Amino acid sequence: MPIAVYRLLVLGLTTLAVAAPLSLVVYQSFLTAPFFDPSAKFGVLAYSFVFNDADFWQAFWTTIAIAGGMTAVAVPLGALLAFLMVRTDVPGREYLEPLILIPIFVSAVVIAFGYVVAIGPVGIFSTLANDLLGFVPWNLYSLLALILIAGLTHVPHVYLYSAAALRGLSSDLEEAARVSGANPFRVAVNVSLPMILPAILFAGVLVFFLGFELFGLPLVLGDPQDVLVLSTYLYKLTNKLGVPSYQLMAVVVVAIIAVTAPLVFLQRLLLRQAQRYVSVRGKGLKTLPLRLHGWRWFAFGAIVLWLFVTVVVPLFGITLRSFVVTWGQGVKLLDVLTLDHYRELADYPNVIRGIINTLGIGVIGGAIAVMCYTAIALAVHRWNSGWTRLVDYLVMVPRAMPGLVAGLALLWVFLFVPFLSPLKSTMVSIWLAYTIVWLAYGMRLVSGTLLQVAPELEEAARTAGANDLRVKRDVTVPLIKYGMLASWLLVFLIFVREYSTGIYLLGPGTEVIGSLLVSLWGTGAVDLVSALSVVNVLMIGVGLAVAVRLGVRLHG
Amino acid sequence: MAELTVKDVALRLGDNEILKGVSVAVPAGQVVALLGPSGSGKTTLLRAIAGLETPYRGSIAIGDRVFFDAARGIELPAEQRGLGLVFQSYALWPHRTVFDNVAYGLKLRGVSAAEIKTRVEKTLSQIGLGHLAARYPHQLSGGQQQRVAIARALVYEPPVILLDEPLSNLDAKLREEARAWLRTLIVTLGLSAIHVTHDQVEAMAIADRIVLLDAGVIAQEGSPTRLYNEPTTQFAAEFMGSNNRLEGKLVENSDGRVTIELFGERLSGISRTKTAIGEKAIGIVRIERVRCATSPGPNRLKMELKAPMYLGERWELVLTRESVTVRAYASAPLEPGEHYVEFPPEALWVF
Repeated sequence: MPIAVYRLLVLGLTTLAVAAPLSLVVYQSFLTAPFFDPSAKFGVLAYSFVFNDADFWQAFWTTIAIAGGMTAVAVPLGALLAFLMVRTDVPGREYLEPLILIPIFVSAVVIAFGYVVAIGPVGIFSTLANDLLGFVPWNLYSLLALILIAGLTHVPHVYLYSAAALRGLSSDLEEAARVSGANPFRVAVNVSLPMILPAILFAGVLVFFLGFELFGLPLVLGDPQDVLVLSTYLYKLTNKLGVPSYQLMAVVVVAIIAVTAPLVFLQRLLLRQAQRYVSVRGKGLKTLPLRLHGWRWFAFGAIVLWLFVTVVVPLFGITLRSFVVTWGQGVKLLDVLTLDHYRELADYPNVIRGIINTLGIGVIGGAIAVMCYTAIALAVHRWNSGWTRLVDYLVMVPRAMPGLVAGLALLWVFLFVPFLSPLKSTMVSIWLAYTIVWLAYGMRLVSGTLLQVAPELEEAARTAGANDLRVKRDVTVPLIKYGMLASWLLVFLIFVREYSTGIYLLGPGTEVIGSLLVSLWGTGAVDLVSALSVVNVLMIGVGLAVAVRLGVRLHG
Repeated sequence: MAELTVKDVALRLGDNEILKGVSVAVPAGQVVALLGPSGSGKTTLLRAIAGLETPYRGSIAIGDRVFFDAARGIELPAEQRGLGLVFQSYALWPHRTVFDNVAYGLKLRGVSAAEIKTRVEKTLSQIGLGHLAARYPHQLSGGQQQRVAIARALVYEPPVILLDEPLSNLDAKLREEARAWLRTLIVTLGLSAIHVTHDQVEAMAIADRIVLLDAGVIAQEGSPTRLYNEPTTQFAAEFMGSNNRLEGKLVENSDGRVTIELFGERLSGISRTKTAIGEKAIGIVRIERVRCATSPGPNRLKMELKAPMYLGERWELVLTRESVTVRAYASAPLEPGEHYVEFPPEALWVF
């Protein structure tokens, strides 16, 4: 098979996988009824209905407020955290690094459940505070708390990009400020952080964008006070009119993508700019950590406090809840300890299927997904052609679709295309949705590995007489083998964590832990939810431990 | 084996015109060095011959086998040209043993396993690495890696072997040994080769013919002795050897002889210029051809000797007069002070 055929095939399939769900959504949004309804006609009726719905606009502005608020919280904290971790001698940095990244890998619904059982009105910490103070000094079910929690859990995203940029900064600039009389905080604010502004700006846009993707947190924390964001509005719309109101949902999806697509594009521009900034400086820099002296333990304390609030509180809460019969005012821990919730998991065949499916989608699905990402990356690798730009943009498209939306679009594809319908209630549908949703992420992992293959190694094979495909098979792929394994591990973590993509595809046979948690939470089965959450966290914990043990970089 | 001919090749990378029409011929059994400073296009030319870069003009062929012809729209992919290429970084595949690295080209040509074994072993023993066949590249020294890279390019007996600065990654002492070894190997095996280098000594030692490139065009080509002793362009004169540069006024230019005036004194030399009488002219003379005398004479300039420097096998003298500085060698140290520096007329080229 000549390389041209291979490229055409890969490009064609990728285009189909990316464009089909999107075009179906757009098509559906211009129909007056669901696409399977014979009475459906073209029209903008759905648009006028949604845009005249006060709830929609309420949700829209709430989303903006939350996205903006969480950016305002996450960016300064993440940038400062990066400064402390990368440029200073804060104690225990090597142990803190993997801990800091935990919020990225733990499912947002699990974190949300954790907060509810830990600091909700009758949460474990709330009752403790009530016993001590006589009142609960916080209110979890408020917009402010939602913004704060969303902000705190997105600090690692800002941290990652700021830390990468700070690593390329020469330390004599900071030492000069220190000698001039600036304390470490001022060094960070006046010298280090302004120099990595492009990276911070990028991280800011990224977090704002992620604000539009939020689903688990607003679903769990916003619901009791009827706070709706676009994604939860979409989710509620499913049942709003009693009949499947696909055309309205399609309009909401189009509205969401209309906001996220420009943000994705902006991120791409900013990332390029940020990378240019860093690459100017080159390697071989002197990077001595800035000595904090008296501030060392204060900084350490601040990081630990953030970890406590963002990681320990929810995870401890959900774990403890999974081992107790009930919780409330005046309950003594020893009286209520139990293992029943875990035993009960076995009573629900769908839960057992969900656990097995989740492992399957992570291990097997992840492996196949990495193979697909590699196939696409190899098709454009060393291809000197304008078509590679098309692939760049193609890969970005699913990024603009939040998991919930992509899952919905995929569901429609499976309903719309007759020969695909039998696959709808199998794990194939889940795998396809996951693989498309994480296309950009997976491609970044694999492309990063491919970048490390020196071109001469491939050229040497060419001149020895190997054609393009042979070179890829004999030289390129063997050389990126370990990079592919690392990508597999990271994709495993992402797939096991995923909850929103599977929601619309959830049915007998397609249960995964993430979507099951959301649906079980809706029925109020807190015992089951907490036990299942712990199972999910354990799977991710094992994956993370393996990754750290093997020295896999936890970010692409 | 037939002659490799490169005709009028021009090549752009992005907006940069790297090659501006270069023609080279490599007759069978000859070693041609592509010599030039960095950015002169020598590696690009080699890569174009190998099929790794695409020119926009010109043609490349071996005998009547056309590799590339812009006019006729022919471009043979690299793997179908059957050439051997040794990379500057060696580009040994880290996931394959020495044996498998060398064997790959034969495997692609469908050679039987038994024959691969004999041919690889023969090539490896030719380069003196027969005992290292089972090792991986990272277990070898730099010099050994370089030999494996050469073996890998030789094993399928390509009509021409292309060498891209193969010695530049070795340290100075090893480089001199490897140079002698490589020349011997090429002569014993009767290979045709193109050897890219920026080191003029290496080019002269290894090649039968040198093609000197300057900013994408050929500055001069010819045998090493011709290039060193009869440079035709100022670039060639200054690039080869170590030189002194004298700026003077042209006073006479006829029959290939030229006279320039400097500090009111006249120096005669070989004419390489068409400059008008009375205009500025530049004289180039190799350092080793400059002599120091004690008395005035023809083609001599009075100059002031600063401190002599001891270089081991000889002394280097730095002589100055106003803004002009001249370097010369001597077998014994001279007293600082006034000397008469002689520039032999047959060794002074004026451009």
